[in-house]
Amino acid sequence: MIQIREVTKRYGAKTVVDRLSFSAKPGQVTGFLGPNGAGKSTTMRMIIGLDAPTSGDVLINGKPYVSSKAPLHELGGLLDAKAVHPGRTAVSHLLALARTHGIPRSRVDEVLGMAGLSAVANKRVGAFSLGMGQRLGIAAALLGDPAVVMLDEPVNGLDPEGVLWVRNLLAGLAAEGRTVMLSSHLMSEVSLIADHLIIIGRGKLLADTTVAELVTAEGVRVVTADPDALRTVISGPGVTVTSTGAEELLVSGTSARQIGLAAARRGIPLFELTPQNASLEEAFMDLTRDAVEYEAAR
Amino acid sequence: MKITPGGVVAAEWTKFSSLRSTWITTGTSVVVLIAFGMIASASSSGDGMSAVDLALSGSTLAALAVGVLGVLLGASEYTTGMIRATLAAVPRRLPVLWSKSLVAGLAGLVAMTAGAFAAFALGSAVLNDDVGGLSLGDDGVLRALFGAGLYLGLIAVLGVALGMLVRASAGAIAILAGLLLIVPGLALLLPRSISEAVTPYLPSNAGSAVMALTPGDSTLAPWTGLAVFAGYVVIALAAAAYRLKKTDA
Repeated sequence: MIQIREVTKRYGAKTVVDRLSFSAKPGQVTGFLGPNGAGKSTTMRMIIGLDAPTSGDVLINGKPYVSSKAPLHELGGLLDAKAVHPGRTAVSHLLALARTHGIPRSRVDEVLGMAGLSAVANKRVGAFSLGMGQRLGIAAALLGDPAVVMLDEPVNGLDPEGVLWVRNLLAGLAAEGRTVMLSSHLMSEVSLIADHLIIIGRGKLLADTTVAELVTAEGVRVVTADPDALRTVISGPGVTVTSTGAEELLVSGTSARQIGLAAARRGIPLFELTPQNASLEEAFMDLTRDAVEYEAAR
Repeated sequence: MKITPGGVVAAEWTKFSSLRSTWITTGTSVVVLIAFGMIASASSSGDGMSAVDLALSGSTLAALAVGVLGVLLGASEYTTGMIRATLAAVPRRLPVLWSKSLVAGLAGLVAMTAGAFAAFALGSAVLNDDVGGLSLGDDGVLRALFGAGLYLGLIAVLGVALGMLVRASAGAIAILAGLLLIVPGLALLLPRSISEAVTPYLPSNAGSAVMALTPGDSTLAPWTGLAVFAGYVVIALAAAAYRLKKTDA
């Protein structure tokens, strides 16, 4: 469980995270989304205790990360896969982290195996590709058998097989009852794994939602022989009807089922009755349009 | 499974021992100490210097090398980004600094004590005929040799503190070299009365006092000198601890 309460982070005059509150719960994968520069990495740095919030609280499993007796067992994080001494072998890197907690050597070999790195365990990390570095970072995050797994852009640099591996791994970790959070600036990637979505822009919370909620309800497209009659039948509080063609209406505020039933009662023929879903990518762009930090000139 | 002080020390030892560069730097400082000691022992006709003083002539350069070892251990955490993984594992942070200092200090102490004894043994073997030979049993010889190990071990700790404080290798090495080599020279530019009062307390002069067979007129007593030097190390460690604890990593 990750709980962020009213967290603000300022660097000098610049507010990078602005009164952000959300939680990531056990048993589900939380996608943490936002355009570049939205404050995702800063938020994750505060979660893992590298940066101190200017104000507000960050709790991991109900307590501050710093006060934990076995931090690696509470939270395993991957912030930057390149943050490894290039002169060290993969196994020594993990062993150095493991020793702090008295984690046995067998666990180091186990996570190397899980990450598919057994064959290169004794190679220097400096010779690793970006994808291998990501795998090593994920192995390090899993070292302490953590209740919370937090990964910043985990599929960066991974090949398709690696992407699939991360997807299955994270789904499996969540199914075991762990809290899983991953960040990305790509909606399409996150929507495949995440149940719960936190979307931020310019350090502020834009949406705390689910994939299903985010894509529903653009409206229902109706094609009918008698648009005027249908319009009167279905109009009501909260229902908006716009004409999008000679026989076409876009209806929002009610469901396709209600429209169909109402039309049947009055004997109005319908040719089409289609719920319109905005694509995830569109929904994400709409949400973050005003919060894009670095935008191409138009 | 939990964090223990011993675990953090073991982790720092793993980091130390798993890098080729630490072994190279440690080896270099030992070789420098021995080689310069032998050269000075063989070529110098004394000038009032004893066989021990000659054997430890390499200590200034060895100090620089072992200081660089400490700096690299501290600063590479930041230059490689490893500090993020390190502090995620040990979020209380300060145990990392203490453990790193302990590992660097002990490694420096062991390597440099061995180096000092080797330099003395080999230096004595090739000693210039004009200099009177000494044995380990002679007054002050053991103190000078163990003192050299202690002083150089402390320099490794100073290097760690500077590396963690400055967070960049080049800057920390510059400060280290400045403290050890340049400051004593600058002090000579001061008016004589001030210079004479200050010079014995400068880091390298104070620390070196423990290695001198007989204390000179212008140096501190051996253990006093080492204690003063340890004071500098404590100050640097305190500054590094403050920065580590108070600022974002």
